[in-house]
Amino acid sequence: MSVLARHLNILDHTLSSLWRRRLKNLSVLLVFAGVIFLIASFQLVTRALTETAEQALVAAPEITIQKMSAGRQVAVPLAYSEKLSGIFGIRRVVPRVWGYYFDEVSGANYTVLGLERDRMPASGQLDLVLDQGESPAPGRSGAALIGRSVQQGLERKGGSLLSLFRPDLSMVSFTVAGVFKEETDILTNDLIVLDIDDARDLFLVPEDVATDLCVYVANQREVPTIAKKIADALPDTRVVTRAQIRKTYQVVFGWRSGFASVCLLTALAAFVIFAWDKASGLSPEERREISILKLLGWETRDILAIRLWEGILVAGLAFVLGCTLAYIHVAFFGASLFRPVMVGWSVISPSLRLAPTVQLSQFLLIFCFSVLPYMAATVIPAWSCASVPAESALGGV
Amino acid sequence: MNPAVPKRTVRPLGRLLMVLTCLGLLLLALFVHARIGAARQERENRLRRIAVAALGLTDLCVATEARYTRHPAVTDLVVPFMDHPGAIEHFPTGSFWAPPAAPGFNRGER
Repeated sequence: MSVLARHLNILDHTLSSLWRRRLKNLSVLLVFAGVIFLIASFQLVTRALTETAEQALVAAPEITIQKMSAGRQVAVPLAYSEKLSGIFGIRRVVPRVWGYYFDEVSGANYTVLGLERDRMPASGQLDLVLDQGESPAPGRSGAALIGRSVQQGLERKGGSLLSLFRPDLSMVSFTVAGVFKEETDILTNDLIVLDIDDARDLFLVPEDVATDLCVYVANQREVPTIAKKIADALPDTRVVTRAQIRKTYQVVFGWRSGFASVCLLTALAAFVIFAWDKASGLSPEERREISILKLLGWETRDILAIRLWEGILVAGLAFVLGCTLAYIHVAFFGASLFRPVMVGWSVISPSLRLAPTVQLSQFLLIFCFSVLPYMAATVIPAWSCASVPAESALGGV
Repeated sequence: MNPAVPKRTVRPLGRLLMVLTCLGLLLLALFVHARIGAARQERENRLRRIAVAALGLTDLCVATEARYTRHPAVTDLVVPFMDHPGAIEHFPTGSFWAPPAAPGFNRGER
């Protein structure tokens, strides 16, 4: 009998054996698939978010300057930009006034951003990211570009003007010049973009300060050098480069976050229980089956092959099932199981439009941590049982 | 009297192959979906880059409940604990987002 035919027959026997204990095996398969689903879902969703940040933030300001005082960020004087005029290689310094606006009616937190749009890169293309309306002329006062959640809030209130309160509770109203597209929701969903003077007026920010300064550099290779020069020239500031911003997004969705640790620990705990159950020995019924097979003339290697196939089938099917469900969960349902943790108590909930990138390395890692140890835990006790004489094994039953 | 015709039974392996074929077809469909999704994502990324460049954005808008998860790239590490002395971090999103390394020159990273 050829090796292939032998293994096909062994596989037939293994399947029949699995089917005889279908309730137990099915529950093992489902729990195992559930654990893999949890880990793979987390991997896919964090990878998709990191990838989105990586792709989008490639156009972020090259350097952002924030003033620090007593360990907190405070408004940066516009005079600081004049101190930077001596640094060769800086193309321009653009001040931004931005902050958060809490809408008491809806309970939502909006991000209000005021800047001189005509001084920003790609300002001429801003209309491309607007679903409705168009970008107001530079310097035009009283007009706002808003994200979709802000528009929905406005529609619920039933007004066409965006009315906001200053800190002294006096009201200021803006016309809605445009609404951002759904495709940019992951960046603009809660945004209210105003002219910088309007934002100053709304937050009552003095004219000689801004929230932070965006620095644009002519030569990308000089960014670290220029950032260091800025840090030396303005010692009371924090100088954040684009590379650091992108690096932030490579780590914030990592395994070190508490939720990820919970997923990992759950998976590990489940797996330890599995492994312990398997490694602690075979059930009397399984011992009896092995002894009978040996009495019938089966060799130790045949019995090991049965257990190996059993492990491959259960763990392999659980792996494929878990990973497939994880992809469906992230791609079709927007990782809805993780959403409550991802957005927390946020009233605004942007459509994430996640497109999971399937990387072989991710799944290989999950495979190595789940399937291989399971197979080892299946085969080792079978080997220890199959290597003793059949009569003695059967006699003990 | 005709002898009873033996009933043809499908081997367990045959059943397994049927299951594997179904799973394979499902995976193929998902692979095609992933390829289409990647092309769509590339189009959307172009728009996102325009928004980021034109507005000078630094962060993703995933969670809006706390400023340190709305703008983790330009926030202080102390922010989650600065509401009052002895304050503890209490927003749910704080458990999903790992704290970033303190960014910025003048912050020990030179």
